[in-house]
Amino acid sequence: MKKIISFLLVFTFGLSSCEKDDICDPDTPTTPRLVITFYDINNPTLLKNVTNLKVIGQDKSEVNGGIIFNESGDETTKYLANGSTISIPLKTNAESTTFTFISDSQNPNPAAINKDAIRFNYTHQDIYVSRACGFKTTFTLNPVSSSPPVSIPFVLTDADGNGLWMQQVFVINPKIETENETHIKVFF
Amino acid sequence: MKHTLKYFFSSCLLFSMVLVQAQETSTTTVKKETAPAKPKTETAKPELQEVKPDSIKTDRYGLRVGVDLYKLTRGLYDKDYKGIEIVGDFRLTKKYYIAAELGFEDKTTDDDRLNSTATGTYIKGGFDYNLYQNWLDMENLITIGLRGGFSTFSQELNSYKIYNPNPYWGEQPPIVDNKKYNGLTAGWIEVAMGLKAKVFNNVFVGFGVQLKMLVANTKPDGFDNLYIPGFNRTYDGSFGIGFNYTVSYFIPIYKKKTIIPTAKKEQPKK
Repeated sequence: MKKIISFLLVFTFGLSSCEKDDICDPDTPTTPRLVITFYDINNPTLLKNVTNLKVIGQDKSEVNGGIIFNESGDETTKYLANGSTISIPLKTNAESTTFTFISDSQNPNPAAINKDAIRFNYTHQDIYVSRACGFKTTFTLNPVSSSPPVSIPFVLTDADGNGLWMQQVFVINPKIETENETHIKVFF
Repeated sequence: MKHTLKYFFSSCLLFSMVLVQAQETSTTTVKKETAPAKPKTETAKPELQEVKPDSIKTDRYGLRVGVDLYKLTRGLYDKDYKGIEIVGDFRLTKKYYIAAELGFEDKTTDDDRLNSTATGTYIKGGFDYNLYQNWLDMENLITIGLRGGFSTFSQELNSYKIYNPNPYWGEQPPIVDNKKYNGLTAGWIEVAMGLKAKVFNNVFVGFGVQLKMLVANTKPDGFDNLYIPGFNRTYDGSFGIGFNYTVSYFIPIYKKKTIIPTAKKEQPKK
């Protein structure tokens, strides 16, 4: 009998090691952003840093509606990207998202500033994560298809009439499921 | 949500204290019995042998059936809950009871990001061991036992929210889904600790706490079992907890006469 009781006690204490699951851990992979990496057009294997790149979502203010790349920056610098990789959030409830990419946005010479607009076309799926996090959305960029149904992963247009600064754009990974990989390569 | 959590934890705390107390009292009663019994046996040993017919005790054996009042009454104040649990036990030997619970639950779980409803029936079976040493004709129980539980249920995902750590485009409103997942099953084992007191005649009032461990769980494709009838809320691991508050009626079937063990045991020793 004592054996049974001690077994039950061990079992009970083994169970009581509580688990916390009410708060969504920030490290949990949830809705991913689109990861864009910039390369040198003259030397396609070399990463190239952008200068003061500002990315504005469609219908957002150009002054304070940009995507924040630098949390610690002040009112102007927090919207500026200067690395070779950026991550931008797509709309989770739409089939396309349009951004304006402003290169060298802080240049005092207006002629040096170049704006390109890019629209990403995709489908999205809602995937269960956990009780605390709920669901996440993953995206699949539309394939290139000229025969019906016609589809295209992105549309690149010149927003300000001074040519495209993003000279080549390639889809590397159409499945946007994590932020650990590059989805789009841009050569400039 | 916050209030239910608070309520849940405070009630857990309350029961843990009750449990501790229950164990304390049971040990002290054992001590009380053994401590004065030893000197007595030496002095009153011949007396005990003579008074043997008086120390014979009749134990009643039978079936106890009851209902979980907590589940029954919760439906009155909690619009997200409907449930019933029938409990029963049958006395096998002096200390052992076969015990079983049968129930139905319909529970809507409203979490911050998910809202789902689980509906289903469950059965639990196992045994209880009575730790309590009754005096004279008392029939109270402090039990510890093991159960195996099995549930068949369905889950409906009513609505959900998308978790987006970068809400640049704003927080999306909850998506109404109403997708139903049928034919789900789960199995678990639980350690049940309980207390039953005879309040009058054959009516018993009791409550119990159960610690559960999930051993089998068929999860729906693309979702999870957030609530399993009988098992209650699930956590990230396999841990679960539950309690009940029962009122039951004892149906006596036969009686067995036993000689009080203190007198019987100490005779062959010396």
